[in-house]
Amino acid sequence: MLEIKDAQRLAELRRKHGREAQADPAAPVAERPDIRRRQPRFCGLESGHRACQGCGEALGARLVTETAGPDVMIANATGCLEVFSTPWPESAWRVPWIHSLFENAAAVASGMEAAMKSQGKRTKVIAQGGDGGTFDIGFQALSGMLERYHNVLYVCYDNEAYMNTGIQRSGSTPHAASTTTSPSGSERMGKRHLKKNLLAIIAAHHVPYAASASVAYPVDIRRKVRRAMDVEGPTFLLIHSPCPLGWGHDGAMSIEIARLAVQTGLFPLVEFERGEVVSVMPIRQPKPVAEYLKNQNRFRHLFNDKDPRALEEREHLQALADYNIDIYGLRGDGPDVMDTDGVDTVRRGGPVQVM
Amino acid sequence: MAILTRSAFASPGTSLDFKTGSWRTLRPIHNHRKAPCHDACPAGEDQQAWLAKLQENRVQEAWETLTDINPMPAVTGRVCPHPCETACNRGQFDKSIAIHSLERFLGDEAIKNGWEYPNVEPLLPDAPPMAVIGAGPAGLSAAYHLRRRGYSVTMFESLTEPGGLLRAAIPMTRLPRDVLDAELNRLFALGVDLRLRHRLGRDVSLDELRSHFGAVFLGIGCQKSREWSVGGAVPADLHEGLHLLKGWVDHLSMPEAERVIIHGGGNTAVDLCRIMKRKGAKEVHLITASGLPGPDTAPDDVINVVPRELEEALEEGVIIHPHATIQRLIMRGSKVVGVEMVSLRKLPGNGGRKARVSFEGTERVLNTDMVVPCIGEVVDPEGVADLLHGRSYLRPDDEWGRLDTANYEGLFVGGDARGDRGTVSAAIGDGRKAADAMDAYVRGLPGPESDDREVISFGQLNLNYFEHADRAKVTKVPPELRTDDTEIEGGLTGPLAYAEAARCFSCGNCLACDNCWTFCPDSAVIKTAEQASDGSYYLFDLDYCKGCGICASECPCGYIDMIPER
Repeated sequence: MLEIKDAQRLAELRRKHGREAQADPAAPVAERPDIRRRQPRFCGLESGHRACQGCGEALGARLVTETAGPDVMIANATGCLEVFSTPWPESAWRVPWIHSLFENAAAVASGMEAAMKSQGKRTKVIAQGGDGGTFDIGFQALSGMLERYHNVLYVCYDNEAYMNTGIQRSGSTPHAASTTTSPSGSERMGKRHLKKNLLAIIAAHHVPYAASASVAYPVDIRRKVRRAMDVEGPTFLLIHSPCPLGWGHDGAMSIEIARLAVQTGLFPLVEFERGEVVSVMPIRQPKPVAEYLKNQNRFRHLFNDKDPRALEEREHLQALADYNIDIYGLRGDGPDVMDTDGVDTVRRGGPVQVM
Repeated sequence: MAILTRSAFASPGTSLDFKTGSWRTLRPIHNHRKAPCHDACPAGEDQQAWLAKLQENRVQEAWETLTDINPMPAVTGRVCPHPCETACNRGQFDKSIAIHSLERFLGDEAIKNGWEYPNVEPLLPDAPPMAVIGAGPAGLSAAYHLRRRGYSVTMFESLTEPGGLLRAAIPMTRLPRDVLDAELNRLFALGVDLRLRHRLGRDVSLDELRSHFGAVFLGIGCQKSREWSVGGAVPADLHEGLHLLKGWVDHLSMPEAERVIIHGGGNTAVDLCRIMKRKGAKEVHLITASGLPGPDTAPDDVINVVPRELEEALEEGVIIHPHATIQRLIMRGSKVVGVEMVSLRKLPGNGGRKARVSFEGTERVLNTDMVVPCIGEVVDPEGVADLLHGRSYLRPDDEWGRLDTANYEGLFVGGDARGDRGTVSAAIGDGRKAADAMDAYVRGLPGPESDDREVISFGQLNLNYFEHADRAKVTKVPPELRTDDTEIEGGLTGPLAYAEAARCFSCGNCLACDNCWTFCPDSAVIKTAEQASDGSYYLFDLDYCKGCGICASECPCGYIDMIPER
């Protein structure tokens, strides 16, 4: 329930803006839709969805839909996002939205785009899914969509495992992360294999735009969504989205952890056009990966001092981060307003960077 | 529960019917903590509040917010040792905000544009009149705050002009008199009845005042020099420091000497050193028991001087002997020709009280023509002997300045007369607090309440959202060009001032940066069109807030707390 004080405040605001008075200023239900509706941003994903506390994916989807605006249609793969946003008979979406199967979001989106085209409409189609539905299960449909050159933006919210079904490893799970199907123990230190470099595979389709982003940098997400929406042809966004439940961290830490993934080099923010890297977000001062790992239970076994494999795997992850920094040229030359420290700068009235 | 049929679909945004707020175990609240600058300010200014206005380019509103507390920002911006800048959290990030320069900027803008004090109540018809004794910083502040509350105020000053030590002892190089006059004129234009040449005890007695006025504020300062001797020896031609300084400020007179030793450790001593040096003394030595600021000196042992003044004194060639005292005067007849100096330290003695211990074997002899003690002043007992009870100062009973409540009613004190002050800003703070207490007293209400909010520490900020930025630099007249009456430090101009204000972290208060609004995965932070009643620009929609705490973690200013749900 809203507190009375807040409800009165909402009534005050409503009167100020010339809306009709409500019968009872203490009645929050009657108050709410009004002030909520007047928020200076498009609300594509409404409140009341059932995402966990501190969900990175919910935040990512909200940022993408609010940037893409109302003139879109969404095809959603099976996954957390589909489940938490549409418990029958409710929907949290304010744009046309369809869910068919786990593996076919890209195929459904292709059909929607073809239908729009034949009707002469320019409504943009967005396909979205988690890393399971994108890296693994829906991969061939996605590849086909890119190859057939549909005018669709595909967004993958990458939380690095099958979280909806109970944290099973996916092609996106990072090396050495513990999941229910890659537990750490005497045999292995979490996942044996490496995280699939999906972005490079997408880029190899010679698509006009493919980029990675992180929920820790909303300004950057908005810019990339706008770019991907503007480009004619298939575009792709990979958004790193922490999962408090699956990664084993406090929900309040979601942004901090997402930011560390970028600042350590483990999750590089890069943009591809026609298969070439055209832009990266430079890292001002790379942080050691241990800082990223230590607050997540999925990496807890890497801090067992009695096990010699722990240090080895930690060093392995550090080497992977260093490799990313090296091949993408993430090390900036001096402070830059667009680097990992500069782009999130705020001042009175909002972020400094408005793109 | 609706039945799922073919062709059924859910309406947009219907999830709003489901109140996820019921999941919450922690709830976010806005918690306006004290910014460290505010906490450290002896005058009680909330620098964060007026810097916020300045960040919005609302210069006049910023000045008005400032003058809610301090009526004379153009003065304090020049003379205050700015403990706010020492406390500033930004100092641990790069360099503290140049608060004193910005305060001066606002003060100068107000003078330039002729702004008038806001929120001045008309005179209350049946309120008792108030008396203020002493037109120095404490008295001026008390008069200002009383007048703003609607009281008629009568002010008694023994000198021919108001201003107290601001006029009598602060050199023009630090405080140009046109600035002082402009601020005083604006203050007296509020309608304060100023009676000059009225001295307490001579022209008017305390009993008279008490019978005519509802309450009396004593801002009488310390007018009597402390007695000074070394082992009983006093040179025949002894000049006392504050007396010399007043003479110089008044009519530019200063005795001549080749080698001067000044004994003491306050602004008067340093001002005097610099004047002597400029007047042509070959060597000016300052012997002080305190230390110079640095890693080896405890904060309570640092010389109590405006830091930039100390810097300028060193630039000008004043020789400072920290942690030392004069042990013996070397006399030829009744004239002093040298001193024996010895090193000392303040060390904890028996019972934990710090005592000065001098070290045998560190004695040095300095030749000199003149020794000037600047060791402070005490309250002149004339007219207030009954209140002193044999002590040197008028110690109040509480922070509100209530004086000698065991024997009197309606007497308040503030400023240097308390004996534990020593800055213009502290006097201004005393005046304001006493005005609050006097208001409560004549209304028969319990005293004002002190602000015991927590001070926000550096560690409570989220620094990811701030960038390093250079502190604004002000111009300074180089040592060789300094004269007796031109101001040494320059001010900030508009664009530089705005850039400097933009560096403020807004510690403990809403920065309106949108972080909570942007990062809430549940759209449970509602942005308001203008400032909400709690001073923020956002509301929490507790119908949907799941209590994840992202807003609290990502608030750059430490303004959001998570508290257990009831």
